[in-house]
Amino acid sequence: MGPREKLALRYVLTAVFWLGVAGIEGMLMRLRLINLLTDIYVPEHFYSMMTVHPYVGIYGWAYMAVMGAFYYLVPKVLNKELYSERVADISYWVMTIGVLVTWLSGFLFGFAALYTLYWPLPIERFPPVSVLVFSIGTIMIFSSVLMFFFNMFATIFLPSRGAGGPGFVAKELLTLAFNLDKIKAVGRGIKNYLPKVYSYPVFIVGVFRGCVDTTLNALTMAAISVLLGIYSIAGLLNLPLPTSLVDPLIYKNVFWWGLDLIADGNVLIFTAATWYFLVPVLVGRKLYGEQVVRTVILADLVLSLFVWNHHMLADTPQPLILQIQGQIFTWGELITMGLTMFSVLMTIWLARPVKYSTPLKFLLFSILGYAIGGSAGIIQANYALNRYLHNTQWVIGIHGHVQLLAGLSMTIFAVIYAVAPMITGKELDSKLADLHLVFFFAGALVMGLSMGFAGVEGMLRRTIYFNGEYFGYMVGAAIGGALMAIGFLIFLYNFIRTYSFKAVLIAFKK
Amino acid sequence: MYIQQIVEIFYMGLVVTYIIFIISFMYITSRRSSGRIVADGGEVHKGMDKAEKTWLLVLITIAIIGNTVLLSPLVPSANMAIWSGSKPVKSVVITIEDYEFKLPEKPIRLQAGVPVEFIVYSNDVTYGFGVFREDGTLVFQMQVVPGYENKIVWVFDEPGVYTIRSTEYSGPEHPMMVVYNAIVVEGGE
Repeated sequence: MGPREKLALRYVLTAVFWLGVAGIEGMLMRLRLINLLTDIYVPEHFYSMMTVHPYVGIYGWAYMAVMGAFYYLVPKVLNKELYSERVADISYWVMTIGVLVTWLSGFLFGFAALYTLYWPLPIERFPPVSVLVFSIGTIMIFSSVLMFFFNMFATIFLPSRGAGGPGFVAKELLTLAFNLDKIKAVGRGIKNYLPKVYSYPVFIVGVFRGCVDTTLNALTMAAISVLLGIYSIAGLLNLPLPTSLVDPLIYKNVFWWGLDLIADGNVLIFTAATWYFLVPVLVGRKLYGEQVVRTVILADLVLSLFVWNHHMLADTPQPLILQIQGQIFTWGELITMGLTMFSVLMTIWLARPVKYSTPLKFLLFSILGYAIGGSAGIIQANYALNRYLHNTQWVIGIHGHVQLLAGLSMTIFAVIYAVAPMITGKELDSKLADLHLVFFFAGALVMGLSMGFAGVEGMLRRTIYFNGEYFGYMVGAAIGGALMAIGFLIFLYNFIRTYSFKAVLIAFKK
Repeated sequence: MYIQQIVEIFYMGLVVTYIIFIISFMYITSRRSSGRIVADGGEVHKGMDKAEKTWLLVLITIAIIGNTVLLSPLVPSANMAIWSGSKPVKSVVITIEDYEFKLPEKPIRLQAGVPVEFIVYSNDVTYGFGVFREDGTLVFQMQVVPGYENKIVWVFDEPGVYTIRSTEYSGPEHPMMVVYNAIVVEGGE
């Protein structure tokens, strides 16, 4: 196993560990919502866990898995060396420690402002030391993410190591990400100009266009972490800064603009790129509509910069025109995602008869997960319906968790099942993988739908109910969580049975 | 039937359709094709082919219909915010501070069928203002951003007793931010 393979495996194994942690947290919170553990699990602790849960799930699991996969696949597809294995290695440690520190900010220091961090909640209601620890942890996370993007951009755009510098990479990135060369050519009246982006495989186009979104996401969120850090240090020095220096509504707009980019960059564009890569490999046929999907990725990138208002549909001081714009642009994502799915499904259709390998099954169910979770997202992102659904369990259940667990996670598992044999030379057991798929997908669906239906009946997210309200729905969600846990354990058993602990530990040795 | 329950039925129809589609798709594509000539042999297209154009048209049509219906007066919240233009007959001013709703009276007495404006202020952090029926379902809500006038006009269409609850997390005491029997809506015009 070469250094790049070890690196990828290390990232993925750590990601799987964090998925397990996120799952345990989820189950503990669920038990509290069905009024168990009430004596030992006070609201302060519950909300600390709820604050770090998305960081563990998104950055610990999803990001680390994506980073591991792309560190392996991008150089392989381009037939180039990774720009810097050292940076990739540092990025691994910074991310791992960053997630751990963020987790500790809740567990040890009681930080519980939730991931939304609405101004001035973190500063008003939590001890400065907890805010500072959270700020340090998240700055580490976003620094790691930025190191990863630097490495991706340099690997993709630099012709060779030492040729060109940051300026060259930035120019290439902007030109290719937004088809600026094509715009220039049209301006000069050049007909039939083929943009430079067509010289890159569609998977790589998805990677660097997705990285544009996620870079902007990391920069915005890092800036917010720095702001929290400054306020917390001032608080620790007994020189508190007035919270009125920051306008809560402008802050909220900036926050959602930056945060939503992760949904488009990581969840939608990276997923699309992965489908575009895996499906042709798995069915042995060229991607259907390959030329068109490059434009679809561009449309997704452009749309993603203008959809944050769908998070602010319940904010009445927000101008109505912006809210309606947010709604209409969000429907645009239905079109781009619909075209993406169409391209993938047509590729499979035209390759029939298809032998459904494990990764292909996971991938197809991932499409199903995205369809189910995405439709819920489109519904709640309407100005009028948001009045009834905002901040209910619908948003986080049917949309959030189904999209992330039945959609994104199934794609990540598809990549693991496809890439692990490439790295190790050994296939994972397909029957156990089928069981993993059934339990995990069904569990995610049962959990998400139970939460969503509770939301329809008025159950809020981020709210503990003390009188047994919505009990049946939460029991349903707990059963869904338990099914997912069984699926996850089957996956772990399959992994360890195939590769053994000893072989897996090689990934952590120099 | 409340609007969110109609949404739920529609949504479940979608979910069942998607599941049937994917399972059928898997079954059909795993079988040998019937021998029909496949249009696309794997060559690279220059632009969209007919099937893609048709699908794009379907998606655009769905988006146009969806936006038109959901922004139309058919949905009560859209009607009240965008179309009705009805002037509120009564204003209810509420302030929230340190996890506590400060109501002008308890219960707040209103008439069904009459537009009421709720103006809510926060003196510290962001809260939510949600009005719930006795069965726990949500009537309407908005965010309460500190430093801003947060207001919404609503027409209660049925008499009853309503609960006010914060719909936004504001710290560990957030779940306790509930006022039962906060609003009594009577009669109707």
